[in-house]
Amino acid sequence: MNETTFQNMGERQGVFNRRIFLMGGVVAFGLFALTGRLAHLQILHGGRYKRLSAANQFNFRLIPPPRGQILDRNGSVLAGNRPSFRVVVRRNEIEDIDKTLDQLSYILPQTAANRRRIVRDINQSQRFVPTIVAADLSWEDFSRVNLYAAEIPGVEADMNEMRVYHYGGAFSHVVGYVAKVSESDLKAEGENPDPMLLHPGFRIGKQGVEKAFEKQLRGVSGAQKVEVNAVGGVVAEDPTGTRPPVPGEDITLTIDAEVQQRALEMFGEDSGSAVLMNVHNGEVLCMASAPSFDPNLFVSGISTKAYRLLADYERRPLLDKAIGSTFAPGSTFKMATALAFLAAGIDPKERVVCRGSYPFGRRNFRCWRAGGHGSVDMNDAIKHSCDVYFYHLCNRAGVDRISETAHKLGLGELFDLEIAGQKSGVIPSTEYKRKNFKNDPKWHPGETLSVAIGQGYTHVSALQLAVYTARIANGHKAVTPHLVKKIGKVDLDFNFADIDIPPEHLQLVRNGMNAVSNDSDGTAFRNSQLNLGDIKMAGKTGTAQVINYDRAGTRRATQWRNKDHGLYVCYAPADNPKYALAVVVQHGVAGGTVAAPKAREIMKVALLKDPEMQARIVRPPPPEVPDEPLIIPEADASADVLQPAAPAADDFVPPTP
Amino acid sequence: MAESAMTRRGERERYDNKLLQIDTGLVLSISAIAGIGALMLYSVGGMSWEPWAYNHLLRFGLCFVVMIGLAIVDLRIWLRLSYPFYLFSLLLLIAVEVAGEVRMGAQRWLTLGPVTLQPSEFMKLAIVMALARWYHESSAEEAKLHWKLIVPLMMIAVPVLLVAHQPDLGTAMLILLTGLAVMIVAGLDWRIIGASVAAGVAVVPFFVIFVMHDYQRERVLTFLNPEADPSGAGYHILQSKIAMGSGGLLGKGLGLGSQSQLNFLPEKHTDFILAAVAEELGFVGGLTVFLLYAAVVFISIRIANLSHNHFGRLAVAGATATFALYVLINGAMVMGMAPVVGVPQPLLSYGGSVMLTVMIAFGLVLGVKVHRYQELPRSVGLFD
Repeated sequence: MNETTFQNMGERQGVFNRRIFLMGGVVAFGLFALTGRLAHLQILHGGRYKRLSAANQFNFRLIPPPRGQILDRNGSVLAGNRPSFRVVVRRNEIEDIDKTLDQLSYILPQTAANRRRIVRDINQSQRFVPTIVAADLSWEDFSRVNLYAAEIPGVEADMNEMRVYHYGGAFSHVVGYVAKVSESDLKAEGENPDPMLLHPGFRIGKQGVEKAFEKQLRGVSGAQKVEVNAVGGVVAEDPTGTRPPVPGEDITLTIDAEVQQRALEMFGEDSGSAVLMNVHNGEVLCMASAPSFDPNLFVSGISTKAYRLLADYERRPLLDKAIGSTFAPGSTFKMATALAFLAAGIDPKERVVCRGSYPFGRRNFRCWRAGGHGSVDMNDAIKHSCDVYFYHLCNRAGVDRISETAHKLGLGELFDLEIAGQKSGVIPSTEYKRKNFKNDPKWHPGETLSVAIGQGYTHVSALQLAVYTARIANGHKAVTPHLVKKIGKVDLDFNFADIDIPPEHLQLVRNGMNAVSNDSDGTAFRNSQLNLGDIKMAGKTGTAQVINYDRAGTRRATQWRNKDHGLYVCYAPADNPKYALAVVVQHGVAGGTVAAPKAREIMKVALLKDPEMQARIVRPPPPEVPDEPLIIPEADASADVLQPAAPAADDFVPPTP
Repeated sequence: MAESAMTRRGERERYDNKLLQIDTGLVLSISAIAGIGALMLYSVGGMSWEPWAYNHLLRFGLCFVVMIGLAIVDLRIWLRLSYPFYLFSLLLLIAVEVAGEVRMGAQRWLTLGPVTLQPSEFMKLAIVMALARWYHESSAEEAKLHWKLIVPLMMIAVPVLLVAHQPDLGTAMLILLTGLAVMIVAGLDWRIIGASVAAGVAVVPFFVIFVMHDYQRERVLTFLNPEADPSGAGYHILQSKIAMGSGGLLGKGLGLGSQSQLNFLPEKHTDFILAAVAEELGFVGGLTVFLLYAAVVFISIRIANLSHNHFGRLAVAGATATFALYVLINGAMVMGMAPVVGVPQPLLSYGGSVMLTVMIAFGLVLGVKVHRYQELPRSVGLFD
């Protein structure tokens, strides 16, 4: 027994020693595998994990850049920034939203009123993005919050910049406005939207220049490197990792704030638009749309109720009527028709007898003056705005030639304007009829009669009318309108193609327009007098029907929205044109009486602000006795300017009415 | 001189001589690991002795005294107490089942007045001692392939099922593997080992689908594909890998590990402390810890080889197996090679129960070294 036990015990020990050796091997293998894995993680992939670790550890707090300003041509700030005091909460730093808001309500009573919105915003906010509880606080409220905020974790009082439009509604349509970023704005940014867009204080351009130059105005956001812990709390700030924001660029417009303000003043509650531009370089000095709205409402978020009031108002303040609204040009179109006649070889001296109406086909086309104008040539026809003259000759030129001429002058065209929202309108032609009227694709000669006097299908925008006038006025260039003078510090320059209309034809038309305003029997004589010495204005009135009176059965519209549009296009000075202006008063009844006085006042401001014109106004009158040789020393030119304007004004002989 | 003194039986029994026989290599390795643990706890505690580092050192100090004390306890006492201790642990496990306290969804703790016990920890030690005793009293044939093997199998199965039912799968698995390790080193037939491994592999999918709790299944699935949900269930593994990987060769420096200092690393002071070591002390630090663990394991195996009695051999083998399993499972877990199971890194991690269990186990190991020449009677009474 003892023997076997000994043997047995020896065997047990032998097996054990072999097996424990094996176990040691297994453990060694295991530790070796772990070491290999450690080396794999730390040495082979160390770089990758270092990056991941840094991404965990550091967070970049965005510093929004100040948005670029929008200036008028003289540097007046149309859209600027002002400081706004606000209170934000950081979700990741508060424990109990309800408790925090309760505490905040003691300091800021408005928190209680907006509680539902605040709670919703907090719940929807992204990690690390603070939620705005209240913005635009008064200094008293802000100081109070600042004093107590330290005792409520997660609540912060801070200051940011907010967009402000100092002129209220005067530039709403051109400058546009900024508002909160919407889902569609984010989508439009593409795959990787700028993280700045998610910042609660950020506002994006929604309309006009604010939208068109969003990229330049926005600037580049800065970043502040902060160390955060796993729950997002800021542990420390790293000044070396901080990048300052790059402010947005200023945009200088061609708009002149004074001219534009005068235009809106003239309109008052009237609905319509005025576009004034330089005939040589296409700079738009005034592009007003009335009535307007206050863009400041949109910056902090307009209430639905206020928005509905604006959107539902009959006179449509939200619509940019200068470029986004089209209407029949009426008689202001007659210069285009006349130029088409000249292009067709019709002699401007050819006379047509107007008896107040013109029978054509089965219809009788009436002239605006029931008694007729008698015998008129082209100049008379423009001066008196005689419809019969144009009825009579229009089919000799043909609608396609009229259409072609109108397009050359800019009507029915879309321009390369900086802001969006243009409407092209319609300049009818045989092709237009063929394409758009499947039931009656043939052009009827009777329709040409309507087109010839700017009625029928013809629709143009106020901007097109201004360009049209500018092209007629400058006599050789196809100018296009521009709103932006400078981006940042870079001046913009434009070149224009020559217009494909003989200058002498344009001169004939200009003579007609001059007669409209400056001949005592011209249709706009009384309302075109600038009283600026020899600086005269030349123009053309227009009245556009809104409804078909034949069908309505009356020539008198009783409702505002059915009344005729009053139009007036003009340029000045008549002898050496510099500015062209188109004024449209929607449902303003007649161009000569409603639109022309507005045009006169707007034009006057533009002329008076122009140094060239100022020099001309104060220039001494030309010598009455030309016998003696006159030598004007050049050095005296500056002295002349300084002389009072009184003698020149005395010289002016007022026209007999 | 010392050798000749040792040959005389009476001299060996003297406690001062026994103390001289304590294995200094093992003690130093253990102390070094615990020291690194305290250093890391000081670091992840925000470079502060509170709340962890001080406690860790205090516990280690107390356990160290216990370990040395146990090292000079006669092996016969260990042998005699092994079955009673096993039964006592088993009763505690049953008590937990009946009257245990539920914490974090599992019934693991037993409150006895001011003391909170986790009986599954005792069982890790008890199973080793009980099995060692059973094999000590058996022959080589019985250990190899014999109907009597049903006894050790039952000794393993009952506590494993009880612990698994708490549910504490990590500990259950640890007890199971430890028990099996003792059976294997005791001389289990290779055919049985092979068949068991095959059966185990076949049973795993069934086990995962039908037996596991949802959170356990989720852990396994997360382990298989951690990138599927990086902020959810895969977060811990991912953050642990980032912490370790970003440490590089030399580490970020003590107290400078952003992952552990800024709480990206979960359970940085307990289960994931190895990741904090790797982050702040780098590959060099991690390798040092592994080398120290290897030293502990191989010194222990050497002690097992030196022992003249089978009980001592098997007890040391079992204790070493438990220790190695802790190290390997935790290491694999924090490096994303195994599912997240609640297994801490012995001596390194903060935690009293595991520290006590491990130190008692090393008390036994050191005791086996001290009493390596002792012959033990083949059989003792159940409660002698």
